[in-house]
Amino acid sequence: MQYPTGRLALHSASLTVHPGEFAVILGANGCGKSTMLRIIAGMQKPTAGEVRIAGQDITRLNGRALSDARMTLGMVFQHAHLVKRRSVLTNVTTGTLGRHRTLFTALGGLPPQEFPHAMNCLEQVGLTQFAKQRASTLSGGQAQRAAIARALAQRPRALLADEPVASLDPEAAEDVMRLLRKLATEQRMAVLCVLHQPDLARRYADRLLGLRKGVIAFDDAPANVTPDAINDLYEGFRPS
Amino acid sequence: MSSETLPAAVSPAKLAAAARFSLLKTAVIAIVLIALFVQALIVVQAQPAELITGIHGMADILSRSLPPDVSSFPAQLWPVLETIDIALFGTFFGVILALPLAWLAARNTSPAPAVYHGARAVISICRSVPDLVWALLFVTAVGLGPFAGALALTIHSVGMLGRLLAETIEDMDMGPMDALSSTGAARLQIFTHAVVPTVLPSLLGITLYRLDDNIRSSLVLGFVGAGGIGFQLLTAMNLFDYRTVSLLLIITFVLVLGAERLSAAVRKRVL
Repeated sequence: MQYPTGRLALHSASLTVHPGEFAVILGANGCGKSTMLRIIAGMQKPTAGEVRIAGQDITRLNGRALSDARMTLGMVFQHAHLVKRRSVLTNVTTGTLGRHRTLFTALGGLPPQEFPHAMNCLEQVGLTQFAKQRASTLSGGQAQRAAIARALAQRPRALLADEPVASLDPEAAEDVMRLLRKLATEQRMAVLCVLHQPDLARRYADRLLGLRKGVIAFDDAPANVTPDAINDLYEGFRPS
Repeated sequence: MSSETLPAAVSPAKLAAAARFSLLKTAVIAIVLIALFVQALIVVQAQPAELITGIHGMADILSRSLPPDVSSFPAQLWPVLETIDIALFGTFFGVILALPLAWLAARNTSPAPAVYHGARAVISICRSVPDLVWALLFVTAVGLGPFAGALALTIHSVGMLGRLLAETIEDMDMGPMDALSSTGAARLQIFTHAVVPTVLPSLLGITLYRLDDNIRSSLVLGFVGAGGIGFQLLTAMNLFDYRTVSLLLIITFVLVLGAERLSAAVRKRVL
């Protein structure tokens, strides 16, 4: 991936994430983590290379076809990005809008047949009792879990998470990581997560990927990745 | 030190020239301002003497308009309703038209630059043409009466509401929009499910403010034949029926003040 400015953000960075696998990308700021995630999510087009979801290359898609392909990928951001004035259940149900392109939903209606599914998604993240509350009443960790429920509501094959715990307190961060782990194991979801906390990554992920200046430095199970290898990623960014 | 910081080559002669120049500048500005003011006096044909000698004429009209003709009050109820309804119609349809227009005219939600500029242009035209002119235009189309006034207020409201709403949308957090777009939602769905719920309180506040504005405008629109209290006022003036005029002025005062208070109170509750 080369930006129009000429800056090469990523090169020869290939990876595959399998269903049920929880992979974490580690790396210093500006190493290309977010670029990688944005390309995989179809939010940016790479200058070369391809992104295959269940065999289909999404970098060649546009418009409606791209939207449809994006439905198979659930995105989780650093912030929950919920519509604060609407209820938690409503927010989760909006995750299903992509498959219900009707005049009714275009005018602000929600597909009623999706409410049971949305409740189901809320149950998976442990927020059933908050369904009727306004999203603004949730704590940071709860809001992030509701955002994950919204991503689940779109029935994705994979979850992409861009620093999902960066703005959470340690306890809420553990909750969210545990949830992602559970979704990979129980729902056979492929989870790809960008993280800044090597210790959290070690404890929850199946696979650690180190990204350094746009190149994959290591790609292995946590047990095989030495602390030195991780420290190398941040070399020049940290004192010592 | 000071010999270093001051420009070295300033001679006394040059300093004096600079002082003369700044004095000249002040004088020129003063003369221009006075000339501007004097031409305004001439153009408006200001004759303070006439205001003083003519004061008894005003006193005369005032005495003839008192007491207000309360007996004609029931006859004014219908025009009052007409005035309020013109404002309600204009505000309601103004919002309905302004909302999609604002979506196209907000930099962050507009689908294409050409659409953005087009929508901005439509909003500007709606706003920059005064509602009185819109009313005159619509009178030629639908004839004299409240409908012309209601249409005029609709179009003029679109101008103001569209601009304020577009700015509200531009100020809003893009997060929920990004999140919905990543779920594969369509553009219009993102608008109705992420943008509209978020801007709803502002939308309500702006709308109430506009309703209050529209009630005032709808009074004036009566003068060009758009019905309501304004039209009654014009008729009473032409018939030299000053006691009805004073009653109508009192009604106007109460109406405007009431609308202002009501919209302020509701806005306070909502926001």
